[in-house]
Amino acid sequence: MSETRGVLLPAYVLADESGSMSPYLGDLSDGLTSLCEGLRAEPMVAAKLRLAVLGFSDDVQVRLAVADMRTESTLPQMVIRGLTSYKAVFEDLLQRIPADVQWLRGEGYKVHRPVVFLLSDGQPTDGRSWRSPHAQLTDRSQTPTAPNIIACGIGDARADTMLEVATRPEFAFVAKSGTDLGQAISEFFHSLTSSLVASGHALNSASPQLVVNRPEQFTMAIDEV
Amino acid sequence: MDTDNAPVPAGPRDVPPPAAPPPPPWQSVQPWQRITVGTPGPEFEALPPGEYAYDVPDTECDGWSTGELAMRFASVRGAKHRYYRQPRQDAARAAVHAASGSVVFAVADGVSSASEAEQGAVAACRAAVERMLDLLDGAGGRVDLRDVACRAADRLGELTRWRLGGKDPEFSEVAGLYATTLVAGVVRPHPEGPVVEVCRVGDSGAWALDRASGRYQQLFPTKTGTDVLLVSSTVTPLPHVPDPLEQTGRRLSPGEVLLVGTDGFADPLGDGDGQVGSLFAAHLARPLPPLWLAHLLDFSRETFDDDRTLLAVWPSAPGGRR
Repeated sequence: MSETRGVLLPAYVLADESGSMSPYLGDLSDGLTSLCEGLRAEPMVAAKLRLAVLGFSDDVQVRLAVADMRTESTLPQMVIRGLTSYKAVFEDLLQRIPADVQWLRGEGYKVHRPVVFLLSDGQPTDGRSWRSPHAQLTDRSQTPTAPNIIACGIGDARADTMLEVATRPEFAFVAKSGTDLGQAISEFFHSLTSSLVASGHALNSASPQLVVNRPEQFTMAIDEV
Repeated sequence: MDTDNAPVPAGPRDVPPPAAPPPPPWQSVQPWQRITVGTPGPEFEALPPGEYAYDVPDTECDGWSTGELAMRFASVRGAKHRYYRQPRQDAARAAVHAASGSVVFAVADGVSSASEAEQGAVAACRAAVERMLDLLDGAGGRVDLRDVACRAADRLGELTRWRLGGKDPEFSEVAGLYATTLVAGVVRPHPEGPVVEVCRVGDSGAWALDRASGRYQQLFPTKTGTDVLLVSSTVTPLPHVPDPLEQTGRRLSPGEVLLVGTDGFADPLGDGDGQVGSLFAAHLARPLPPLWLAHLLDFSRETFDDDRTLLAVWPSAPGGRR
């Protein structure tokens, strides 16, 4: 039967769990809580999203598997550990996203192009090795389910790196110099929630589009390079 | 006064009570219950749209028949717009060309990012219908659908110019105010079966529904076909008129109904072989009351919260039976 149960936007939050995030674990947890509560407060929008939360450092660990936030009752718990391997991130997404899209389609849904929100507080510690899986992930001819990537850098993360990670220049942001990192994390999640809600409104309309709101205390990375 | 011999007024004890009148038949009539398909969406009382959207009712419907064709349309505000205090941004209009008996129609879906999308949709429909009536009046009654689409786009430009106080608008200003999809066309009566000519700008759809089998044949490619891995997010609405314009034509057999709908109907319909397709195939087998079409179209199904508009044209069978 080809009748669809709905059209969903798979959204992935990639949060940096490397050691340097240790002072901000509470801010991360608070941000995730506000994200989950914000989506629950918008059940009509949440019905059209499936949210996954992944923690990354030396590898990627699932903190919340692709979930319907209207019914999901557990809060993702982040764990501080290891270094900052971007290679692990993009290799994981290369496997994960096509599999998730296939699974959702198998469940009877149609799927919008997935979106990844990446929050990093530092430069990748794996040199340039991440560029190859990143290129493969974002090349729509190689990966038909290639996601849109929004990259937000705080702390030591550089604007040029965020620009390389993001799939469009206007999707790359860095925290303004001197911004409190805890506040920046809070703003990241605030913006993430509003972007998902706005995108949820714009989906399934005559002009479905991804809406990305710049977090307060962040600037466009393109303005910093 | 001798109270013992005083006349006793007639009272209720002396006259058998009249039989209770039967309840009026309308007492047992219940309001229509919302139709649900699969898992319903949330139920809530609709909120009013903005102050200046008073001219856009939540629901619109219309219906009439000529000797050869029957037309119905309905347009209902989606749950998302009812919840977030926005007006319906879909529109439909239809008219009969008296001299030829042709039915001209237009269905539009205002783009939500346009600030006056609801007005854009109505204006595009009106302009398209008026232009088709004009063209049918011309020699040979040929309807140039590109001309029709361009006239609708021009109308959006004129509205923008008026809005800007006479300043010639940029294309982006027109799109920012009034961008809308459009499906417009004409159904001409013919002894061998009515002939449909239809064009579209954007992603609204058109189908020929076979009444006997319940199968939906799409007249334009769909954006969410089963073979598409991801849903496309590329829609190019009016005021852009693509070159070439997407248009098609075919004859309707006596057993077919022409359907034209916005994506609020097309998305849950899919290929038409599921529950939504079955619901509409069952009820569209013959012309139905316009209010019932609106009620049907307002079905509840989780995640499908867009405005919905559906227009249908049935051919008459010989002898007037539809």
